[in-house]
Parts: sequence; structure tokens; C-alpha cells
Amino acid sequence: MRQIWIRFLSLFKKRDLDREFDDEADSHIALATEDYVQRGMPLVEAQRMARVRFGSIESSKDAHRDSRGLPRIEGLLYDLRFALRRLRHDRAFALTAIVTLALAIGLNVTVFAVMNTMLFRGFPLVQRNERLVYIQEQYPSGTGNITYLDFEDWRAQAHSFEGMAFVGEKNISLSYGEGRSLDASAFTVSTNVFGLLRVKPTLGRDFVPADDAAGAAPVVILNHRFWESQFGGRQEVIGTSVLINKVPATVIGVMPEGFDFPTQFDVWIPYMRGPEVNQRIPEAFLAVGRLRDGANLQEARAELETINHRLEAAYPATNRGVVPSLATYSQSFIGPDASVIYGSLWVAAWFVLLIACANLANLTVARTVGRWRDFSIRIALGAGRGRMMRQIFVESLTLTSVAGVLGWWITKWGVRTWAVETASIYQILDYTLDSGTLAYLVAISLAAAILFSLAPMGKVLQIGVNGALKSEAPGVTPGVRGKRLAAVLVAGQMALAIVLLSGAGVLVRSLMNVVSADTGVGDPEHVLVGFLSWPSGKFPSPAAALGYVDRFEAKVRTIPGIVDESVASNIPVNFGTQRAFEIEGRPNPPEGGEAVQFLRVGPDYFRVVEAPAISGRDFNDGDRTATLPVAIVNQSFAARYWPREQPLGKRLRYIDLKQPAEWLTVVGVVPNIMQGDATRRQFKPLVYLPFRQAPRVLGANFLLRTGVPPGQVAQAVRAEIQKLDPDVVLKKFTTLKVSFGFDPGRMDRGHSEMGKYAAVAPIFAVMALLLAAVGLYAVIAHSVSQRTKEIGVRMAIGAAAEDIRRMVLRAGMLPVAIGVILGLAASLGVNRILQSQLVGVPPDDPITMACAPVVLILVALLACQIPARRAMRVDPVVALRHD
Amino acid sequence: MPDSKLDLLQGTLDLMVLQTLDVLGPLHGYGIARRIEQLSGNEVLLNQGTIYASLVRLQQRCWIAAEWGVSDNNRKAKFYSITKAGKRQMKEDQTQWERLVAVITRVLAASGEGS
Repeated sequence: MRQIWIRFLSLFKKRDLDREFDDEADSHIALATEDYVQRGMPLVEAQRMARVRFGSIESSKDAHRDSRGLPRIEGLLYDLRFALRRLRHDRAFALTAIVTLALAIGLNVTVFAVMNTMLFRGFPLVQRNERLVYIQEQYPSGTGNITYLDFEDWRAQAHSFEGMAFVGEKNISLSYGEGRSLDASAFTVSTNVFGLLRVKPTLGRDFVPADDAAGAAPVVILNHRFWESQFGGRQEVIGTSVLINKVPATVIGVMPEGFDFPTQFDVWIPYMRGPEVNQRIPEAFLAVGRLRDGANLQEARAELETINHRLEAAYPATNRGVVPSLATYSQSFIGPDASVIYGSLWVAAWFVLLIACANLANLTVARTVGRWRDFSIRIALGAGRGRMMRQIFVESLTLTSVAGVLGWWITKWGVRTWAVETASIYQILDYTLDSGTLAYLVAISLAAAILFSLAPMGKVLQIGVNGALKSEAPGVTPGVRGKRLAAVLVAGQMALAIVLLSGAGVLVRSLMNVVSADTGVGDPEHVLVGFLSWPSGKFPSPAAALGYVDRFEAKVRTIPGIVDESVASNIPVNFGTQRAFEIEGRPNPPEGGEAVQFLRVGPDYFRVVEAPAISGRDFNDGDRTATLPVAIVNQSFAARYWPREQPLGKRLRYIDLKQPAEWLTVVGVVPNIMQGDATRRQFKPLVYLPFRQAPRVLGANFLLRTGVPPGQVAQAVRAEIQKLDPDVVLKKFTTLKVSFGFDPGRMDRGHSEMGKYAAVAPIFAVMALLLAAVGLYAVIAHSVSQRTKEIGVRMAIGAAAEDIRRMVLRAGMLPVAIGVILGLAASLGVNRILQSQLVGVPPDDPITMACAPVVLILVALLACQIPARRAMRVDPVVALRHD
Repeated sequence: MPDSKLDLLQGTLDLMVLQTLDVLGPLHGYGIARRIEQLSGNEVLLNQGTIYASLVRLQQRCWIAAEWGVSDNNRKAKFYSITKAGKRQMKEDQTQWERLVAVITRVLAASGEGS
């Protein structure tokens, strides 16, 4: 070890050590000379003798160096210096190679990091995420939630789990000190939740089982963000008392920075089992379990299903048809197709990297061919091929190292951009780049270096001493072999580019289908929408809130340019409230009836969206809290539930397990408007209720139809709202048309991932296309410059410029054509994987399949055209004299 | 000077250097080379330069130490001396060498009888 160290150090002291050796050799010769003189030799003879006996000073010096240093590393350092010198000489090549590689590596590592976050990492700071399972129950009505008692049964009976925790949600008002009361969102959790996730509070203590016992003193743990914004990050907060819904509770802890679970809420409080807990009413958000070592997801699922079957038999009234659904983090929070989406993006990133490597292989081969003679002379002189291959590899490695460093910056930027652009409050993601990502970057940089060194190394192996010296006689067109390799690489690149182009093509078309789907709303460009949000407790009763809505409507209608106005519980395309319901006079199915979306709208709603009632009437100002509860259904609802009957006058009501709900009389049927279908393919059955008969008003959406461009009145609307009541905040203010656009915050989980997917896929396709085009250009340009003399000869014996152009194009486009055919065949298979992500487009969409090759061939023609023109301008006289 | 000289076996030069330094004490490179030549009766003759590769090797293994000094006739020279580790190593190498010589001698003697 020590020896290696000394030898290693000697690498850096080369000059000093050499000088010392020289001194020592001088002194040796001086001593020897004196010795000979003493023995009676004449001085000149003595000096000669001393030198002869010492032997060659240079070769001793070499032996000296070898035994003191690390000859191999010295060789590598020499190669490195040589590589740097060569790259400095050939700046254009070095720059192209580094930029290409840096982009490809950066893209690849970015996708890797994002995929890692989306599929494997889970909630921030959580330990061993791969063992965590998120559980909900699916009800026959289509809704998903869980009941506390079912959870208790699972926890008591399931053996696949090490532990299981329960998470519900609650809006609370929270106040402390003299301050105003704040709105806060709380998760009500079982006290073991943080222990199960293996995250400890950064301040104070975790919940203990005693905290949720009946009669226990209320406690609360704060989210770090909430603690900083509302409590100024003061440590003394621990142990103080706050009021939660007017009841004092002690702050016992603050969770670490960046920790959110399961969404961005403000506080966690223990789940208190009130009297309603004994009813098996679904109320919680989800349960989270940690699998025992050795258990897997399938076993756990089977086990919970068995338990639910038992519950079904024991409690048919509440549990019939209720099935547990178990999912990993990514299935549950990113979407069921997360692995398809991010896995395929990763593969796409590899395609891009492979294309980049093929480019570099072609360029490096071209450079190697340029050094053909140099190499063959060296081989003839006895140099080892290994040494030459090492030189090529060191050069590749130098390029990839620089590209890798740049790639790391690109990754940092890319991941940050992705995180910002796709942020959604429903997804808690941890995008920190860790050492694993760095290791991956190093590994793929190395892999890239090896990949694109293989071809030129193979070339070196082909060099024969004789053959090489002969075949590279000046002016002879290089062998067919080199060109064949280049053609194969080009064809491969084109095939990969086609696969990416057609994949991106169908995804983009699918996204366009979603974004531009018919929503049933007339002229959405001229509708302004917004959400009025006020602090809970601002209006003590629904009547007070409705009073505010009345004042708002009256004010807004006076703004010039506004034609119609309506409030609504949600705007078109978004999700209404899903409720199970029953129809009067129809036997209620035992598992609790079907669920449809319910929306509350103002009297002029159907005028604003330009969908006037087909039969019956609109809501009017007379439909208020005290009057007959009424409902309007859409065509889809009427067709499904009263296919051959007149819906007007029929009655329906919510199914409410706590108390029977009021009957609602149908007074009108309206045209279909898109609501709550993420892919926007289907008009779902809807029930509209009057906004002013709502039992609770926690905020309001509004829609304003304008007679002038909406931009002209937006400022006035904003000002009126501010003037009317400064406590009311205007949110999500935009036009209805814009709100139909792709927005991860508005789409459901699965489809917002699809949107992101379709949005980034073209980046890959464009990069692939550009890289492939650059590669093709480089190959053709190189081949033209190699064939200058041949072209000159052809022209001299009568070829027209047009013939030369055709020759160059044919050489370039043949591999392109082969690549296109292979690529199309491959993409027919590959696109099938994307099936789940496609809306209204078949995976082998003929338009995409026709466009992708056309685009590619046009770009390829352009890439060939430039060198072809150069070939046409070759002057035979100059070319024949050349070299 | 005789024409044919003994080629040195790998590693034997190191042993001779160690032995020389052990017997004569600190000595410069030329002195070591001279001494080996004299003792071998000019049978072993190296390019004296090669001794320095051996010296650097031994130094790295910490078997000898080196220091610049002044020779008897007032010339600056680098003096080498054997270390404790070097002495131990020398003993080991000697035993090793003797065993090897004994074996080779026996083998050669046996093949001599056979022919």
C-alpha cells in the first residue's frame, strides 16, 4: 500500500526525481573517472571508460522511472494529454460530441430521476417506501373511502402487515393567542402513523397511543410549513395551547421540513372515535399499511378481500359489495399507469442516448480513418494494438467526462423545471438528487464511452500491417466496410427516431382530443370563470353566505360588457359531487344504489353556457331555501333512468345513511354538458340543483358571459370583488376556454399524468430527430470529402452535376429508407404499450404513421442536401490534383 | 575483460546490493557497483547504471535509506545504507537463495548421473 502511495506521489514529482537521478549519474561518473585516473589511466580515456561502464544513461533513466513510478498510469496520463491535444486541435468535433452527449445524458438522467421519484421514492423522508401499501374501499356506487370499523377489523386480523394506520381529513378552524382564527386543514390520523412511516418529528414528540384514548387531552402536530408561516418557526410553540374548533389542544410536535402526508395539509390530530364510528359509514381518506417482511402485495390483497367477505356476510346492510383496493405509492398517488408512462419515457431517453452514441461512433470512426496511416505505420513499427485502442478509449472517456459534468447541470435544471411545471397539491413528491442518481450518471457516461468506442476500436483491429499501408494509398476511396458500418448505424438511428416520433405523435393527438373535445358549452372564449373563496367562519350561516352571493351578483351584473352571470358549485368539465341516489317508486338495490354527479347552479347558468332547457324550465329566483326542492337533469340522465318516460315531475333523493333526505322534484331537462369525465369522451348523467337551496355554502364558482372580449372586463370584475368585501379572495380567474386546457391540477390523477406525458414526449421526438439528422449529415459530409477525388474522376469522364447529386442522395437515403421501414414496423408494436394512455386515437393511428416518416424523410433529405451540393461543386481539375 | 558474463537472475542484484551495504556500511552507487564487480571477480558485469533501478526499488520497500553526503575525495554523492527491515529481508532472501541453490545443484547432479 505504502509503496503504491510512494509510486503514486512520484507521478507528481517527475521533474525533481529526474533531476536527482541526473545528479546521481553525474556523481557516479565523476567518481568512476577519478578511480580510473588513480589506477593510472589518462583522463580522457578514464572519462570514456566511466561512461561506457555506466551504460546508456537514458535507458537507466527509463528503468529508474519504471521502478519508481506507475508505468501504466503514466501511460494513461500520456494518453490523456494526447487526447486533450487532439481534441483541442479538432474543436468542432469536440464541441459537437460534448454538446450531443451532454444533452443525451442530461435528458436520460433527468428522466431517471423523475422516474425514481414517481415510482419508487414515495413520500419525502419515509423509510422503505416499497413496503408501504395504501388502502381504500370501493363501494358499489363507485365512490372510494374507508370506514373506521373495517380498518379496525383489518388491523386486528390481517397478518401480512407489520402495522396499519388510518388517515381521515377535516377542515378545522384554529386560533391561538389573541390572533384571529385561521382556516386550517387537518388530517385525523391514528397515533401510530408517523412510527409506521418511520418519520420522527423534528421538534417535540410523536403521538403516543394514549393520545386518542377516550377523554384524552387533545393534541396537535404541526406541518413545518404551517409552523413557519403561522408561528414564525418559534420553538416555544411546543407545549403551548391552541384552539381547534374552539377546543384547547396542546401543540406537541413539528414534523421535519419538506414532510407532507398524504397531501399538503397544515396539521395532524389524532382520530377521535365519536359516536358515529359504530355505524360503518365511509368517512376516512385512506389507510396505510407496512407489509411484514416476506409478505407481498398480492397476499395482502387476498387477505383483506377475505376479511371483507366475512364483513359482507356479517353486515350486509353496510358492507355488501365493498371491496378493498390496495396500491403502492405510485399506483395510488401517481396513477395506475405510472410505470408504463415513466418506464416508457426512460426507454425513450435511452433511444435518444443510443442515437447520440451512434452519431459519435460514426464521427470517431471517421476520425480514426483519418489516422489510418498513422496507425498502420505505428503497427508496422511494432506498436501494440491494445495501446492504440486504449488511446481511442481515453479520448472517448475524456469527451464523456466533460459531457457528464454538463449533463449533471442539465439534470439539475431539468428536474427542477419538471418539478415546478408539474407541481400539484395532490402529489407530494421528493425530487432531491441523491448519490444514486449521480452513480447512475457516472455509469451511463461510462457505458456511452464504451458504446461509441466499440466501432473505432473494431477498426483498429482490422488494420493489417500490409493492407493498411496499401489500401490507404492516396486518393483511393476507402473500403466498403467502413461505409457499411456507417449505413447500419444511420439506419438504426432512423428506426429509433421513427419509433419516438410516432409514439409522441399518437400521444399528442390524444392530448389534443382531450383538450379540444366538445364540452357542450357554446362559445367558451367569452365566458370568464373564477372561484370566490372566503375564510370559514366568515359567514356564520348559509343565509349570510347567500346574502353575499346576492350582493356579488347584483354588483357584477352592472359591469358594462357582461351579458349573463351565474354562480355554480363547479365549472363545466370539472368534477361535480358524486352522490348515491334513489328514484321514487323504484326498488332500491340492496347495495345502495348508483351514484351520479350533483351540481348546484344559479338561475341563469344554462343561459351562460348556452344550453337552454329542452323541456320544462330553468331554475329561477323563486327556487330558494324555503320553496319546493327542485332538480334539473341532463339528457344523459333522462335517457338512462327514464328512457321511455317523461322525467318532469318525477322525484329523486340522496341516499343518506344517517337520516332520510328530502325528495327533489325534476322540473326540467337540459342538453348535455361535459362534467367529470377526465378523458372528455362521455357525457355523464348529471343532476343540477338550485344554488340557493344549498345547505352549506363554503365558496362559489362564478361564470360571466361577456359581450366584449373578456380581457376588457376582467379588471373591473376583480375590482368589484375587492371593493365588495376584502376578505373574499378571487382564485383561478380565467376564461372557460382556458380552463379546458391541460392542467394537472384540474384533471384526475391518471389523466394528469397522461397530460404531462404527452407534453414531454415531443421533446424526446424532436431531440431524436435532430440528433439523427446531425448524424446523417456528418456521415454524408464525411463520405463526400473522402470521395472528392472519385467524384472528380466521375465528372472528368462526363458525369453531370445532377448525377453526382443523385449518387450522394442515394447513398444517404438508402439507409434512411431501411431505417424508416424497420422503425414503422417496430412502432406498431411499441405504440401498443401506450394504449392505456390514448384517448380517441388507435395506437397505429394512420395519420401519425404517415406523418412520422414524411417528417423524418424531409429532415433527412435536408441533411443530405448540404453535402450533396458541396459534391456538385467539386471542380474535377482541383480534385484530381488534390493530395 | 572476458566476453561472456553472467546474466543476473531476477532479484539477485537486490540481494547483492543489500549484502554489500550490510558488510561495508553506507556507500554510494558507484561504490556498490565496484564492490559487486570486484567480489564477483568481474564475472558479473552490469551496466553500472542498472544499479540505480535496483536502489530505487529497495528504497521504496524501505529496505535501504539514502542521503546526500560527501565522498572520501570530497565529491558530492548519494549514500545508501541498509535499514533494519532491509537486514531482516536480506536474511530471508539468503536462506531462500541457499535453498534454491541446493535444489538446483541436486537436480543438476542427478541429471548428470543419469546421462
